[in-house]
Amino acid sequence: MTRLNAEEMVLNMGPQHPSTHGVLRLKLKTDGEIVSHIEPVIGYLHRCFEKHGENIEYQMVTPFTDRCDYLASMNNAHAYAMAVEKLMGIELPERVEYLRIIFAELQRIASHLVAVGTFGLDVGAITPFIYCFRERETILDLFEMASGARLLYNYIWIGGLAHDIPPGFVEKAYEFLDYFDDRVREYNRILTGNKIFIERAADVGVMPPEVAISYGVTGPNLRGSGVDHDLRRVQPYSIYDRFDFKTIVGQGEMGTVGDCWDRYYVRVLEMEESAKIVRQALDQLPAEGDVKAAVPKKIRPPKGEVYFRSENPRGELGYYIISDGTNVPFRVKMRSPAFCNLSVINEIGAGWMISDVIAILGSLDIVLGEIDR
Amino acid sequence: MIDAIASWMLQFGALSWLGHTGASVAAVSLVGTALFIFVAANAIVLVYVERKVSAFMQVRLGPMRVGPMGTLQTVADALKLLVKEDIIPQFADKILFRVGPWVILVSAFVTFAAIPFSPTWVPADMSIGLFYVVSVSSVVVIGIVMAGWASNNKWSLYGAMRSAAQIVSYEIPVGLSLLAAVAVVGTLNLQELIHAQAGVGNLFHWIPIPVPNWFIFNNPFLFIAAFVYLIAATAEVNRTPFDIPEAESELVAGFMTEFSGIRWALFFLSEYANAAVVALLTAIVFLGGWQSPFPDIQGARIGMSVLAILAILWTIYVKYKANRFSIYPLLMTVVLAAMAWLFPAFARWLANPGLIWIAIKGGTIIFLLMWFRWTFPRLRVDQLMYVSWKVLLPLAMINLAGVAIWMWLTGAINLVG
Repeated sequence: MTRLNAEEMVLNMGPQHPSTHGVLRLKLKTDGEIVSHIEPVIGYLHRCFEKHGENIEYQMVTPFTDRCDYLASMNNAHAYAMAVEKLMGIELPERVEYLRIIFAELQRIASHLVAVGTFGLDVGAITPFIYCFRERETILDLFEMASGARLLYNYIWIGGLAHDIPPGFVEKAYEFLDYFDDRVREYNRILTGNKIFIERAADVGVMPPEVAISYGVTGPNLRGSGVDHDLRRVQPYSIYDRFDFKTIVGQGEMGTVGDCWDRYYVRVLEMEESAKIVRQALDQLPAEGDVKAAVPKKIRPPKGEVYFRSENPRGELGYYIISDGTNVPFRVKMRSPAFCNLSVINEIGAGWMISDVIAILGSLDIVLGEIDR
Repeated sequence: MIDAIASWMLQFGALSWLGHTGASVAAVSLVGTALFIFVAANAIVLVYVERKVSAFMQVRLGPMRVGPMGTLQTVADALKLLVKEDIIPQFADKILFRVGPWVILVSAFVTFAAIPFSPTWVPADMSIGLFYVVSVSSVVVIGIVMAGWASNNKWSLYGAMRSAAQIVSYEIPVGLSLLAAVAVVGTLNLQELIHAQAGVGNLFHWIPIPVPNWFIFNNPFLFIAAFVYLIAATAEVNRTPFDIPEAESELVAGFMTEFSGIRWALFFLSEYANAAVVALLTAIVFLGGWQSPFPDIQGARIGMSVLAILAILWTIYVKYKANRFSIYPLLMTVVLAAMAWLFPAFARWLANPGLIWIAIKGGTIIFLLMWFRWTFPRLRVDQLMYVSWKVLLPLAMINLAGVAIWMWLTGAINLVG
């Protein structure tokens, strides 16, 4: 009698798959619908960011940082600029700091909108995704007003901004904020409180705080696990200490702390907090002032090294830069949050079903451009 | 209807050479062709409607370029699919790959044979009509498994397996909820089911609100059964929130992954044919089929006026609550009500049973299905099974017992007798 051959099946999810958020490949070991092991295979979007960084001048690196996390270009450029400024010891005009915060937080809202919308898409709700993109369009319009581009801005430069904001920008931004608060309630009505959505997301892919910390998970994913860690709070950079905002931490309202629903809801609430920060920054924005600090044409930081970390929409984004005194960095290392966040997928995703793996991946909110760099 | 056409053919001098058998065969092929054209047209229209409905729900415009308001978009798409290269994957099971889509289409298509479209229009008025529809429509699962297996693709296989499990599970609540209606009338014939729903009665037999005598209104247990049926049937035809066999974000396209061109179009055709069958069956069994909601001319006038008043209240409510204003529903109902009062012929037409009523009811159900699809997320496989076996099945069973008790209470059956 021959025995029925019942071994595990290896299923390749991606690189061409609608829900891997880019060109990620997951090697799933499946037993029926149950996934017993997940191995992410990355590198399909590798564009040699760090090697490029070693061969071009400091200012030229900025557009490359835009292309790493293409959903949060402003935040990336902001972090890079702050790293170089820290290395050189540049003091920035007030107006630059405020404008940078406004752009960084608007970008955070835009990025979270994509995360929230695509998470809905991953669990099968198509309409919230379109709603999220509608609001994102408005933010992109604002960015287009300021920088001329809608995705990759090259707007935050070392020592300031590329140019000042155009007239009418502040009014448009206020207009967006007034209208945005209502929209968040709309998402909550259509998606957050939906019974099916809760069934799909609550108690799924629970990431305990110890696991999150040991894997180096940061950002909304870490806060979703109930760890109160936000670099804007614990190590305030730029002028974040001047604003009044809450750090959102997962409460486990619908299930266990650290499940997909928590990670999702942290993002929803963070959008509201970011909107608050933008509003405060707009209120306090100095009407007049330079948008560029006095930086030399050729940027030659003193010999030395710097590590600067900031809070990206996806977590802790760090730049480690070594300068040998020339106008070309000796080394630009990027600590990408999504890379560390993705590494936890097997720990929290194994043992769940294929549909859950999609949901868990969506709740981690990865951007492949940043993982592969 | 086939007999009627056949005898008409024989009376017609030039066709008398056909003989009795020949005339029957000719009538069957005629009706079959007409139904096939109906199914194809139905799919083309519904695809367009679905795109527009989804677009309006998502603050978009939907197709706008091909034809006026994009009405020819689906025709253009169908043509594109027809002329596309016919690709069969190298390692596919060639025969099953070719047969699968046709099995699905045929099983979706032949269900229409028993559907009564009007008092006289029923392709085949069989005494086991309901049983026929339910059993034939479940042949779909064989085609899906064929297609999924033949594709030789892991995603297709997952889709096919999920689909098999799902359709087989949901057959049972579907059957039980339909059985509740059958228990009331005591027939499986769809025409007799509709005839039993004629006239006007009290809401739930005792509450003195005049409502049409449809099953959904005159029996609270059939009211529940209607919802059980609608939910289970949504799952049976694989529509969101139960569309896990073709779950786009999980299984790429499920069992359809490897299909393209005309074969893929066949899946689409059958999907919309199935949606139409579910909608029509809901209309027939629970909403009175082709029965008019109005008993007579006066009833039609009053009914249309009530509708117009409801539309006015709705418009005011929407204006007040969401600050949005649309004149069309109000205008349409007011004009219709005025017409009913002004032209007795129109009121009489409204009070008559006919194709228009089953179309309106079916269309409403289809819209409901689309509404589900563009609002809800998707359930997981095990949750789907949970809903079927642990929620809908017990509910349908208790419901069936409830129908019996209700009939005893209302005196429709006499246990002592």
